[in-house]
Amino acid sequence: MTDKRALHPTETMLEEFATGNLSTGKCVAIAAHVELCAECRQRTSEIEAQATLAWLAETGSDSTESSSDYASLVDSIVAQPQFSDADEFAEQDAASPVREIHMHERSITLPSVLARIASDGLVWKKLAGGINQASVMLDDETQCEFLYMKPGSQVPVHKHQGNEITLVLDGSFSDAMGNYGPSDFVVRTPSHTHQPASDEGCLCFAVLDSPLTFTKGLARLFNPVNRYRFKRATSQRV
Amino acid sequence: MGNSISDGLPPPSVPRSRKASDSRTEAAAVADIAPAIEAEQEISDEKLLIAVGNSKDRQAFDQLFKRFAKRIFAMGMKLTRNEQLSNDLVQEAMLTVWQKAPLYDLDRGTAQSWIFTLTRNRCFDMLRKLKRQPSTVNADDIWPQEGEHDGNMVHEEQGSQEVEIAQIEAYYEQLPDAQREVVEQIYIHDRTHEEAAEHLQIPLGTLKSRLRLAVGKLRHLIGIEQ
Ligand SMILES: [Zn+2]
Repeated sequence: MTDKRALHPTETMLEEFATGNLSTGKCVAIAAHVELCAECRQRTSEIEAQATLAWLAETGSDSTESSSDYASLVDSIVAQPQFSDADEFAEQDAASPVREIHMHERSITLPSVLARIASDGLVWKKLAGGINQASVMLDDETQCEFLYMKPGSQVPVHKHQGNEITLVLDGSFSDAMGNYGPSDFVVRTPSHTHQPASDEGCLCFAVLDSPLTFTKGLARLFNPVNRYRFKRATSQRV
Repeated sequence: MGNSISDGLPPPSVPRSRKASDSRTEAAAVADIAPAIEAEQEISDEKLLIAVGNSKDRQAFDQLFKRFAKRIFAMGMKLTRNEQLSNDLVQEAMLTVWQKAPLYDLDRGTAQSWIFTLTRNRCFDMLRKLKRQPSTVNADDIWPQEGEHDGNMVHEEQGSQEVEIAQIEAYYEQLPDAQREVVEQIYIHDRTHEEAAEHLQIPLGTLKSRLRLAVGKLRHLIGIEQ
């Protein structure tokens, strides 16, 4: 029922990604998928090439006239050193993040952009249904988190007010619409009510547009907490 | 029209070679650049970028600045709708062009595309800073340039000595032309990376990535056959 292309970012998302016209949270989720998916990596560089041509066409070829302002700007730029030597990279390498994350005896290699984020330290919290969650703050529009579902866990039935992107990093989970494994990019819109479950356990990175609303039974008690969580995760740092 | 424009310009800077004897390619390079001074539009953006990256050519940078400042400003206006920010973007993006020109790799795309993605990245970071978003990630983490992080791989040397020279030559013959000529420059003519890039008229970044591929391939072949 799920066609294979459905488990990748849409063409529109890749376009917004390639032009930098998307929230940081979504850019990170797409970048992580693109690192894992050769097809989307290829598509992204094609879109970048197209976007470049569109950019050149929009702005024409009339060049900037010389002015003293501009000459002194060029002067100050060419006075700067250029990057070229191995030393520059030695420093970067020293700061390169730890790629592996350990979840319940499994060692999982993260895509580099997520490794960068995780290297700041993840704080895990237990939620209902065998779910562990570590929020990360990336922008003001989304709530981003690593989610770890223990083997045999089940998220309470919920629906969304906004979109939810879930990128599977390790293991698998399933809901009424299908079964998802590593590198799958699952998008759920406000029309979906779903209840993800994982038999073998699953590590995901999720990006939410707006708070979840649990729809069933006692789980509703979580609602105020959910709102609070969202507010806190998206509040600006001072 | 060519005359009136070029009269005011200082003499063209042509990549210098340390060896006057490499006359064939050298002459070709001069012939390529000389007429282009009169018709500025004919020098490709790639050539200008190579001159900036390989020999800090200020005049070439000047040309790139003239060609791209307005375009960068336009991208800034589209993404930020703010004139001041867009001016800042021109400055930041052109500074990055200067700094990273030695990393530009011809094999990975056009100069325009390189400048486009680099401008997108600077703009993304500027906006994040403006909105005071946490600095957990930046644009270069989201859109990594392959090759930026493995620039020193080529240097760790010491292949095993047991391999016959003749055998290496056979493998060497199997390399694609573009990689073989790079290996030839570095290991046979014993040129520095800078000299080889200048001689082949390719960006340093391209030279390094081709060398990395070639050395990797040779090692792989040698490893398998041993
Ligand atoms: Zn994909």
